[in-house]
Amino acid sequence: MQTMINLVLQSTWQTVVMVFLSTIFSLILGFPIGVLLHVTGSEEHGGIIPHPVFCSIISRIVNILRSFPFLILMIVLMPLSRLIIGTSIGTMATVIPLSIAAAPFVARVIETSLKEVDPGVVQAAKAMGSSNWQIIRKVLIPEALPSLVSGVTLTIINLIGYSAMAGAIGGGGLGDLAIRYGYQRFRPSYMVAAVIIIIVMVELIQFVGDRISARLLAKR
Amino acid sequence: MEIKLRNLKRNYGSLHAVDGVSLDIPSNTVYGIIGRSGAGKSTLVRLVSMLEKPDTGEVYYDDKRVDNLSKEELMQERRKIGMIFQNFNLFSSRNAEDNIAYPMEICRMDKDHIKRRTEELLALVGLEGRGKAPISTLSGGQKQRVAIARALAVNPSILFCDEATSALDPQTTRAILALIKEIQKKMNLTVVMITHQMEVVRDACDRVAVLDSGHVVEEGLVSDIFSSPKSSVTKDFLSSLTNVQESVVRWSKEGGHYTLRFRGTKTDEPIISTVSKATGAIFNIRAAGVQNLENEELGIMITDIGPDAETAARAVALLRENGVTVEEDA
Repeated sequence: MQTMINLVLQSTWQTVVMVFLSTIFSLILGFPIGVLLHVTGSEEHGGIIPHPVFCSIISRIVNILRSFPFLILMIVLMPLSRLIIGTSIGTMATVIPLSIAAAPFVARVIETSLKEVDPGVVQAAKAMGSSNWQIIRKVLIPEALPSLVSGVTLTIINLIGYSAMAGAIGGGGLGDLAIRYGYQRFRPSYMVAAVIIIIVMVELIQFVGDRISARLLAKR
Repeated sequence: MEIKLRNLKRNYGSLHAVDGVSLDIPSNTVYGIIGRSGAGKSTLVRLVSMLEKPDTGEVYYDDKRVDNLSKEELMQERRKIGMIFQNFNLFSSRNAEDNIAYPMEICRMDKDHIKRRTEELLALVGLEGRGKAPISTLSGGQKQRVAIARALAVNPSILFCDEATSALDPQTTRAILALIKEIQKKMNLTVVMITHQMEVVRDACDRVAVLDSGHVVEEGLVSDIFSSPKSSVTKDFLSSLTNVQESVVRWSKEGGHYTLRFRGTKTDEPIISTVSKATGAIFNIRAAGVQNLENEELGIMITDIGPDAETAARAVALLRENGVTVEEDA
């Protein structure tokens, strides 16, 4: 029993670290791409620096990355982990493919949120002599903030799911625990514990995300 | 600041949205540009306010050409104009005072100055103490007041109003127009007002240009245009005004071959009786009323003249001699 608790705690911690780091890195990678997708888009949809060729090239790349099955992408990206972290196995090594796999998703989520900003408001900001950078920083992002928070919530929850899958190829965390102990060693209690903790995590993240988003909207 | 437009053209595919517009908008006036939807008003205001470049033609602010500026110059020049919109276009992520502060923030003015100026502006538009109010808690009229304060934050010399009152009820419209006129005088602004409502032109503008299918069909002092409209578009606008306005009472749907327009002091004189006595004409008045323009009154009378065509012609001639504009329905 003691070993089980230890194992479960250790795995939970690994999952938390994996999800936390990969959320940060996928936002760092995906957020600017999402902004670029939006601002270089057509003027009718609120693009402030329309550039159809550039926009469609990034859009294509994002689509290609998103259509990869996650497990395949992980395997493809393993050499990259080896290059950066020195190993392709373990929690840290998994963060890299996780981040890269989630980045295109983040980009789309951000783009969708920014598209919801009223183009009239952006036009007004432009008419007042705002630079493109000022429009992005002072208008687009603050105006879209409640929706962006929901997008980040969605991303974290997705990453919890992805990180569980990453366990299958030696990433550690709750997915790994469920597979190695619960499935391969026939100990359903491990499986159940892992699943319950994942469910609790998802519920918690969703609850907090919804609260922040609602709080932001209530101030308007 | 004076605005000069020279032969502006802008096409969208095969649509000539603005087709050769030349206008002189004098400084220190409220200048109306009226047209039906699709007449090219919105495109014109986007061209004049440097939000869009014309295909051909030139835009001058005083003597400075502004339609061919570089990106950087354009940003600087835009900071000297104010603009308000039909849908207010306020930032929902900022409260009233932070909306007003925005144009000053992007010019990197110092915080104390912004704070003081914001207070001043809130007072100017009649929203003292409402600075912390979230935008969603304000009424339409209040939102437009915040938008006006925001537009005036950087002391512009031009204020563009793009259908600024179209989303407001008649009473609020009058209040906002009164505010714009007051501010125009206080700050010596050139106000360009784009609208499809003749009431707005009547209540607020000094001069007006009538736009139709991308062309200016008529331009002049509001009192001239109201008393002697030339184009059919203008007449339509005026008749829509007389119908909705209770100032003209029409007691018969039929007849009304002649439309008489009396200006200023002429509304006080017994012209009809004089003409009737002198020519023997009989007037059968179908509708009549008085409208208050910016500086003067305008009388309108829709009438039939009898007993015969010859007497009517003499009566019309005499009326015209007396400074009354007479239109005959074909």
